[in-house]
Amino acid sequence: MIRAEKLIAQRGDFTLGPVDFDLGTDSYLTLLGPSGAGKTLLLETCMGLIPSKSGNVWLNGQDVTKSLPEQRHISYLPQDLALFPHLNVRENILFGAKIRRIDKSLAEDRLNSLLPLLELRKLIDRADVTSLSGGEKQRVALARALLPQPRMLFLDEPFSALDATIKRQLQVKLREINQQLGVTILHVTHDQEEAFMLGEKIAVMIHGKLCQIGSRDDIYYRPETLDVASFLRNQNIFDMTAEEILADGSMQMGHGIKLIAPGHEGAQRGQRFAVGIRSEEVVIIRPNKPLGPELQENLFHAKVVDILAFGGTHTLCVKLQKSEVTIDVELPNCAMRDLGYTIGNDLQICLRKRSLWTIPLN
Amino acid sequence: MLHRDTAFKISMLLPLCLLLVYFLLLISSQASFFSLAAFFEQLSSGDLRSAVALSLFAATISSSLAIVIAIPSAYALARIHFPGKQFIDTFIDLPMILTPIALGTLILMSWNTSMGRLLSNFGITLPFTVAGVVLAQFTVIVAISIRMLKSTFEQINPRHEQVARLLGCTAFGSFRHVTLPLAKRGIMAAIILTWARAIGEFGATVMVAGTAKGQTATLPSSIYLAMSTADLPKAVALMVILIGISLLVLFGVRVVLEHKS
Repeated sequence: MIRAEKLIAQRGDFTLGPVDFDLGTDSYLTLLGPSGAGKTLLLETCMGLIPSKSGNVWLNGQDVTKSLPEQRHISYLPQDLALFPHLNVRENILFGAKIRRIDKSLAEDRLNSLLPLLELRKLIDRADVTSLSGGEKQRVALARALLPQPRMLFLDEPFSALDATIKRQLQVKLREINQQLGVTILHVTHDQEEAFMLGEKIAVMIHGKLCQIGSRDDIYYRPETLDVASFLRNQNIFDMTAEEILADGSMQMGHGIKLIAPGHEGAQRGQRFAVGIRSEEVVIIRPNKPLGPELQENLFHAKVVDILAFGGTHTLCVKLQKSEVTIDVELPNCAMRDLGYTIGNDLQICLRKRSLWTIPLN
Repeated sequence: MLHRDTAFKISMLLPLCLLLVYFLLLISSQASFFSLAAFFEQLSSGDLRSAVALSLFAATISSSLAIVIAIPSAYALARIHFPGKQFIDTFIDLPMILTPIALGTLILMSWNTSMGRLLSNFGITLPFTVAGVVLAQFTVIVAISIRMLKSTFEQINPRHEQVARLLGCTAFGSFRHVTLPLAKRGIMAAIILTWARAIGEFGATVMVAGTAKGQTATLPSSIYLAMSTADLPKAVALMVILIGISLLVLFGVRVVLEHKS
């Protein structure tokens, strides 16, 4: 659907790219990254609002690099929504239809089909868009963007200013729109939860570079760079050396502790790797319970040194015995209540091989 | 707490009240020189009718021209990046720094060049003509309108234009359908201010167009002429008429604008 090749753009001292991506047939891509990563600049370049320094952008197989924004048929929902304050709600929604000279009855039909979907029936006759609430403004702006039936919908942190409840409602609505209307969406966000909830495919952008693009599981469990791993809050990252390449391709890693990590293409004995595991993937071994086949290796005795309580989870900081290595273990509140751990308790943990990821270090 | 709020409001309102009193004193101090007979005599005078007509006509034309030039110029300065922008932005403020007399001198002298003579050969003459009055007023007020409108355009969120472009507008279309309507209040304010400044313009107008009675004499230059011949009742009568016309037009425009918005 949308493809960028060696795309480079500049704003002031900040350089974006070179960026390569291909959305393919996926209909929902979330572009995730910290503030100042260049996400908005990438959107603006793809939309033709900022000229690219080099590289190309294709839409539906057509090179649109030199096309004007209005020729690209992309709708845009910016962070501040930019509803037109001089127009009423109906005029705002029908703006694109009027400009593109869409037949009035056709535009009204489209409007009537959007009203129930976006729950706009009560708002359509409102005269002043500035008097709408945050969530209402979002729905009006979404309707305005969808009415011309664009090739793609670009969303730039559209829910960042909303409270959690309204935000969740609109996220669900957006997924519904994506499925019902079949419009392809490129959604920029710095909110990881939002990116993973909505994105069929997720791209991570850091310091103007597209570091990784892939499925939810790829990004979440198999980060390809340390920047991506850190940005996705992987707390347990160890600098280790491949001491042995095993027969099944797995690697015997060592440095402070010893563990078996999944194999890495082209890995060599003596090569350094960053080895990581998400805190919620660490398994606490319950005494007197038989261990499954996955839990026979990478077993460690540890002591609880700290407990951090969050909304729905607790994080246990455990120190492995006979080493200085500390590991974060995340537990849901109900499990924490059942286990009743306190600081100083001894426990046994397992770093399952399939939960570990490895990134070669230079 | 309430007392602090009141004290704050008073400290803001006090300078405004003092200014109002000062203006009212200025105007009322003319009462001793005001003669009803002179006032009615002026009202029926052909010279006054000509001066009023010329002042209204020239101020309307010059402020319209200034706004027509200022809207794209201000937009360019507010939104478009181009080489030498900072220099140009500073340079166009020149008429605001120079005294009107110096500006008038500049216009007059420029007519005494080969370019001026060439234009004269084509029948285009500015010195001591109505066109000269319009040009003098335009030169004085155009920078003010650009400055006001630039600030107006800078306050409009460029995202509105970007969204309009992506909804199908051309660059001109987004300017027409989004930017101009959003700038309406700023444009109206600029029109009022430039018109008011133009109708009161004296220095540059006198230098370029002179004060020929019934030809190039505007209301301000007629006041000057009356004062220079020590005809105080006439000068005051003309001043009252100028103040009356200006207030009437300014209030009229404000009422229309507020009604529309």
